[in-house]
Amino acid sequence: MIARRGIAVLAGAVLLTSITACSSDSSSGDGAGKTLNVLVSANSIYPQQQKDWFASVSAKFAEQNGGAKVSFETFASPNDELTKIQTAVLAGQGPDVYSLGTTFTPTAYATGAFVELSADDWGKVGGRDRFLPSTLTLSGPDATHEVGIPFTSRPFVMAYNKDMLAAAGIDKPADTWDGLAAQAKQLTKPGQFGLAVAYGDGFDPWKFIWAMSVQAGNPLVADGKASLSDPVTLKAYQTYLGWLANDKVVDPAAVGWKNAQAIAAFGAGKAAFLPMVSATSKVTLDKSAVAGKYAYAIMPTVPPGQSALPANGKAATSILSGDNLVVAKYSKNKDLAYALIKMLTSAEWQETYYKTFGELPTNAEYAKTLQGDAALAAIVDSSSKAVGTPFSGAWSQVQLALVNVVVQSVPNLAKGKVDDAALQALLAKAQSDAQAALDKAKK
Amino acid sequence: MSQATGRRGRIPWWMLVPGGLLMIVVIVVPLLAAVQISLLDLDQYTFREWLSAPFAGLANYTGALRDSSLLHAVWVSLGYSVIVTVVTVPIGVAAAVATHNAFRGRGLVRSVFLIPYVLPAFVVGTIWRIILQPQGIANQLLHGDGLWLNGPRSFWALVLVQAWSSWPLIYLLALAGLQSIDPLLHEAAALDGAGWWAKLRRIVLPLLRGPVALAAVIAFLHDLNAFTLPFVLFGVPAPRDVEVLPVLTYVESFQNFRFGVSAAMAIFSLILVLVPLVGYLRAVRLEKP
Repeated sequence: MIARRGIAVLAGAVLLTSITACSSDSSSGDGAGKTLNVLVSANSIYPQQQKDWFASVSAKFAEQNGGAKVSFETFASPNDELTKIQTAVLAGQGPDVYSLGTTFTPTAYATGAFVELSADDWGKVGGRDRFLPSTLTLSGPDATHEVGIPFTSRPFVMAYNKDMLAAAGIDKPADTWDGLAAQAKQLTKPGQFGLAVAYGDGFDPWKFIWAMSVQAGNPLVADGKASLSDPVTLKAYQTYLGWLANDKVVDPAAVGWKNAQAIAAFGAGKAAFLPMVSATSKVTLDKSAVAGKYAYAIMPTVPPGQSALPANGKAATSILSGDNLVVAKYSKNKDLAYALIKMLTSAEWQETYYKTFGELPTNAEYAKTLQGDAALAAIVDSSSKAVGTPFSGAWSQVQLALVNVVVQSVPNLAKGKVDDAALQALLAKAQSDAQAALDKAKK
Repeated sequence: MSQATGRRGRIPWWMLVPGGLLMIVVIVVPLLAAVQISLLDLDQYTFREWLSAPFAGLANYTGALRDSSLLHAVWVSLGYSVIVTVVTVPIGVAAAVATHNAFRGRGLVRSVFLIPYVLPAFVVGTIWRIILQPQGIANQLLHGDGLWLNGPRSFWALVLVQAWSSWPLIYLLALAGLQSIDPLLHEAAALDGAGWWAKLRRIVLPLLRGPVALAAVIAFLHDLNAFTLPFVLFGVPAPRDVEVLPVLTYVESFQNFRFGVSAAMAIFSLILVLVPLVGYLRAVRLEKP
């Protein structure tokens, strides 16, 4: 009874809205007896460490803020996150602070449910200057309308198997997508594939398409206009799907793979390159058969079919990826929320976070100290060259439209072909869906 | 009839108040809210103050029919629900007949039959997702490399998994029906020299018709509204062959943020469900003359 369940949720929310209609802002100073609710993503790689981190944050925060408690709640998946945010926003009550993925921040901004930070507010979180400028790109549509406070940075890079490349006489990963495909072909032999790609993932595919399009000069969304059916984007899809269908450098089973399965295949030593992973893959890979035999490199920045970056292209190494913290407008503990954010984005706590979870800092001071670390070179490099996805309230829908093209292309892909006509039809549909979503975004 | 009318004056209607209130809160209010939302231009830009969202009239309904894959989703949902029901009824009835008479180990067999039914849909979906992976057990057993979780075969994968998890409902209701058949009828038939086949055809199956018809309607509605299983099996965005109505409604709401359109879709699915539901309610009434 999905229909009835859906409306039951809405009706519950209606009741809640009327109950909590008049929430007000008050707080500061003494936090005794107050609880700050924080919603963050469940860390499936380090569950125990995350619990310990919650405890140490709570203890320290209580000490600094007159006994105020921090209560962490986690969400398991992006869908779970969305549902929780929607329920809370509709009901006007829920967590005080949310940790949001960067690409979801524009949608969250569009709801108008989160605090736009004034200069004064920025001051309370330690000043806008304490953050790496690039990490502020997806905080708001412009510098005066920002809701997101950068918390962690998770740029995407590519892992490669050093032994396999050395055995094939390849000294370093290619910096063009065509070059990468050529290297992957060279590295594909019985029992080994050039690339590990998760075609069945609900999020990975659009990041490839976006990167290749941006590099070729198509930002996908600009000034309220979508350009998903642009020839360079078609070329991006052909390249991405072609790795399996035409180049035969990807395991055919990858049509059903999620991101974790691609990492597992690379970890089992069955693939030479693993594009589109963040530093968090390190934990899995360090426990795998390729431990010590792999390294990270930035992904190619020259678009498919080109040997150099075109004049209007951007050398995007990754989407600007990571987490932003936002404060709910309905929160009655805003000053406490700012105090917590100030603490979590301080050099000291950013260091703890990096050392515990492997996620890069957004704090400029601490980020500087990491620049000298050779093992991190590629990731730090990618972080500085990452490009923000368009700041549009409709971006989530554009993303969905981009992934949908891959999902509906999988049957053909499984047959080993990229059907250009079918692809064009899917892109036309994606374009009209994206444009329809953007047309509503002007409000 | 006149007796009934005469008694009606003394029926203590006030006793319906607690149940009635509950029904209003649980069913009527949400239903009205859904109808209202379906008439609003409600999306990520307006849902924070949804009561003041712009009125959209029937635009959500026409939009859902014209611009979304609603009709396709209705077709997929109906198609697979009908097939699953047609497939599971004989299996459920056969299982009930087979375990009706006592035999050694009957308790165990009956318990095993219920396993698919008691497993949460999420677990069923996850297990079958692993089985149906390109390199999963299904392809290894079939010595094939077919794609089960996308493309044309995904429809049959959905039918298979839904049938696997829902036939015990038919079995349970059929078993209850069997147990309500008076043993004297069996005795009388045996005295008249009827064999098992004659008894099955002339006594058991006709008397089971009522319970099994109800079971079929309930199972059909269950399949039509199934969200968790297709969601877990295929994920979102759903492959086109398995884009069922509940998943489409979910995606519209929670990924596309078009709450108005989604509510309109929910109303459509309500109407869709009402058709067999009316049949079901009539059947219930006919059962108790």
